[in-house]
Amino acid sequence: MSKDKSNGSQFWNKIKRSQMLIPLAALLIMVIFNLIADPSFFAIKLGYSSAGYPVLSGYLMTILDCGSELAILAIGMTLVTAACGGQDISVGATIAVGGSVMLRVLCGGNSHPETMQAPIIVAFIVGALATMALGAFNGVLVAKFKIQPMVATLILFTAGRSIAAWVNNNELPIIKDVEFTYFGGFIPGIPIPTPFFIALGCGIIIFLVLKFTNLGLYTQAVGINESSSKLNGLNPDFIKFLSFVILGLCVAVAALIKVSRLSTINYSVIAKDIEMDAILAVALGGNKLSGGKFNMGASILGAYVIQFLTTTLYKFDVPSDALPAYKAIVVIALVVMSAPSVREKLQSIKKSLSSKKVSKEVA
Amino acid sequence: MKKLSEKLRSLSDSNLLLTITVVVFFLMYIGAMIFEGGGFLKVQTFFNILNANAYLIILSCGMSIVMICGGIDISVGGVTALVCMSCAVYLDFHNGNVFVAVLLAIAIGLAFGLVQGFLVAYLDIQPFIVTLAGMFFARGMTTIVNTKPFNVENEAFVALKNARIEVPGMGYYNKAGNYVAAYVEIGVIVALIIVALMFFLLKKTKLGRAFYAVGGNAQSALMLGINVKRTRFLSQVLCGLLAGIGGFVYFLHVGSGASTHAAGAEMNAIASSIIGGTMLTGGVGNIIGTFFGVLSLATIQNIVSSAGLDQAWWTGITIAAMLCIFLIIQSVVIARKKKSVKK
Amino acid sequence: MRFLVKKRLLLLALVFSTMLACACGNNHKASNLTVDKERIIIGFSQVGAESDWRYANTNSMKEALSLSNGYELIFDDGQQKQSNQITAIRKFIQQEVDYIVLAPVTESGWDTVLQEAKDANIPVILVDRMVDVKDDSLFTCWVGSDFELEAKKVTAWLKQYCDNEEINPEEVHIVNIQGNIGASAQIGRTKGIEDACKEYGWDLVDEVCGDFTQAKGREVMKEFLKQYDNINVVYCENDNEAFGAIEAIEDAGIKVGSDIKNGEIMVLSFDGVNKTALEYVKEGKISCIGECNPDHGPRVRSIIDTLHMGGKPEKLQYVNESLFVSGSNITSLIVDGQVYPITEITDEE
Repeated sequence: MSKDKSNGSQFWNKIKRSQMLIPLAALLIMVIFNLIADPSFFAIKLGYSSAGYPVLSGYLMTILDCGSELAILAIGMTLVTAACGGQDISVGATIAVGGSVMLRVLCGGNSHPETMQAPIIVAFIVGALATMALGAFNGVLVAKFKIQPMVATLILFTAGRSIAAWVNNNELPIIKDVEFTYFGGFIPGIPIPTPFFIALGCGIIIFLVLKFTNLGLYTQAVGINESSSKLNGLNPDFIKFLSFVILGLCVAVAALIKVSRLSTINYSVIAKDIEMDAILAVALGGNKLSGGKFNMGASILGAYVIQFLTTTLYKFDVPSDALPAYKAIVVIALVVMSAPSVREKLQSIKKSLSSKKVSKEVA
Repeated sequence: MKKLSEKLRSLSDSNLLLTITVVVFFLMYIGAMIFEGGGFLKVQTFFNILNANAYLIILSCGMSIVMICGGIDISVGGVTALVCMSCAVYLDFHNGNVFVAVLLAIAIGLAFGLVQGFLVAYLDIQPFIVTLAGMFFARGMTTIVNTKPFNVENEAFVALKNARIEVPGMGYYNKAGNYVAAYVEIGVIVALIIVALMFFLLKKTKLGRAFYAVGGNAQSALMLGINVKRTRFLSQVLCGLLAGIGGFVYFLHVGSGASTHAAGAEMNAIASSIIGGTMLTGGVGNIIGTFFGVLSLATIQNIVSSAGLDQAWWTGITIAAMLCIFLIIQSVVIARKKKSVKK
Repeated sequence: MRFLVKKRLLLLALVFSTMLACACGNNHKASNLTVDKERIIIGFSQVGAESDWRYANTNSMKEALSLSNGYELIFDDGQQKQSNQITAIRKFIQQEVDYIVLAPVTESGWDTVLQEAKDANIPVILVDRMVDVKDDSLFTCWVGSDFELEAKKVTAWLKQYCDNEEINPEEVHIVNIQGNIGASAQIGRTKGIEDACKEYGWDLVDEVCGDFTQAKGREVMKEFLKQYDNINVVYCENDNEAFGAIEAIEDAGIKVGSDIKNGEIMVLSFDGVNKTALEYVKEGKISCIGECNPDHGPRVRSIIDTLHMGGKPEKLQYVNESLFVSGSNITSLIVDGQVYPITEITDEE
């Protein structure tokens, strides 16, 4: 943290008050745990890829790599949560659709083409349009028909993977072009995984958008009190709709990374359970799941913390199927700690403790 | 015509939604009989739907109750898988007896219900996030209990699993000339008893009415002297308990333990409840509707796969479409209610 | 008002039950009608669409048992779940199909439902994987591959290769990416490699399930490479897992190939149904593929035709399979005293 001591205490106070506390504390605990258990966790090795380019590897790189699509999703999920007070559980399924559409465009009908049939950017735009359309569908159900977000998105949660399989006629298309693997792997000559840069880019964009537009303010206003924001001349329906469309765009970016990683797609497995991780990232960032105020930075940090946890568990030979059990314990611990009634109780205990101390000192 | 529309208008929300569900189900089934023929003309096809979905009926009853009370429980599928695996391991590796296995199943369900209920009701944490963690935990625990899927060979259990109640006079002779008896499994009887019990609970008991009151408006329920926290807690416990029983019924149907068992069952249970006219906003719902919701869901799956739409994706898409239609009907009903209140 | 609703419900229930009764009464007529038809109705319960092999297998069945050939195939995708497949078989029994074709997802747990099919006198033909039932009259025939033989051939090839290159058995460090646990292919192929390691003295470093998918194969291989630094042979239980493994190996900056003495990692695999896999063999990325022939359709058709004529087909029918390799100077293998051919993949193909 800060080296300057006087500044340091101020900084510490600021952190204590901000939402960053929970994810930072969780991160710190895990870092310490790993340092004690096995410091080699933090080792970063410089290797060379098959094409002879330098590539960094190690657990930290895995976290940066795999946590990135989660971070991108967390951006959209935070907005949806803040505006609607509910979560989108269809993101995993819509990633499958987006990825499937991109591969379909790239393959142009033949499932194993020798070269790509369309530029990647075209495929991405078509895929993004598809996921944004699905986002818009969710948005209409939530904003216009006033259906609870979780239930509205249940529809695409059920249908998404089926639609994805349908888009490619249930074939498993494979892209052979090396260029396509850059998005989920490494760009030649740059040893840091590309997804991290993409996540960074998305983070900067959303930061600028929140800074220079009223999106953040409006979203929070709608989330805190819909009817009063309406009285203030906002259009809550549109804001909700917009949040879902933005999430659709985030989904497209995540889908590109996902399919690029494998150069192919598996409809039932791709991005499985990612919706749960994305919601956890938002919750971990200290954002209220019932909507209202949000902190984007905390959500993004939360996403990487979740990945940190996943990678740590993997390292300790926890099989991938048993992973959820441990995650659940962490989640419950976190939400219990942040539950208002528990906090009140803790504070009263603290107070009684300190008052005892004071009384002792006086005596 | 006018008379009918008037009658419809005067129906309460719950009854209107119930009527829609029941009518849709019968139309669908009769349509399938006329256009599909074949299997749908046989009683056993209907019984097969019941046999395969008995567990879902039980899970959906629990789901409807928490939803009526304004909550949600997405851990039921995970609990089902955990129950199957735990009972399977107990029966086969420890040579256990079936009766204790039933108790084990109920205990697991109850444990989930109690913990989740406590967190939701007394610590005031969102039910979605609590039961999400519950689902994660149950699924993870299932693989920790045992990784590999296996079929139970315990003799007493297999006998119970294969026990069936033949319905006389409902069978038929197939074209090879063999008599194919019509039967239901024990699970179906359990499911029907539970439907009846829950129907009675919701309609006739104080607790049942408290569920509706809390789900409809927690604050006014509090003013009426209802213990809101306790009611919420009990709804969650009841759902957990039913998940345990449903889990055992599923186990009885498949006779094996696997971590992938009942994948997506929580979503099917929610979908069935919604199709059956339970509103997620709480306060509105009906167990009979839920029962028909499950049947509609299963029937449409059956129709889709018999209709030559053989690709697996059609099932997902049709269920989603059905859910979408019912959700929109619900939202229209709410809008109508709001309007009439304004008037 | 509630009373009215109940009345209406009652009415509907009445209508429904009368229709059911009519339906039951009509049964005999309906079944007579179907007998008159020449067309043979077949219900096919497939595992799912998890790999290229499965896709090819489904297509083979659909082509062989097409409408134009005089068959009506009712296809059902089990989506990898046994409960779905059991439901499908019960549905077929109700639909009064003439034959049931089943590609079981796992080996155990089929006694009850197959007994139901037998009681209804519908012959069941198994394809691909075997079932583990107490009474083997529950199924009529089985068509598929001898997975253990496939594995024996691949390991015999590796043995021969090591002998030719003078590689000590202790220097062979193998990891096994397994298929879906409990599937016949997984059981046979895992047994094959485990037996071979014991017999030839190779070092079997680890075995982890890769679900027969590319994504899981890649994930598993990534973990292997992190955990062990001496791996030089990867034994994948299907091609999709091999694709994933190759990606993971190349990502880690290691070359795949047969030259394990010079730090390359050798990939062994099974299936060989898609072009990419054969392409990889040609390029030397996969050193050896044990063929697993998905073309079950014609076999099943001939069995059904035999049964329909009242004949008795052979109970167990193995499809012919070969090995795909390139650039090794091994031309034939002897396994259990029998000589098996090897298909060299060359540019002309």
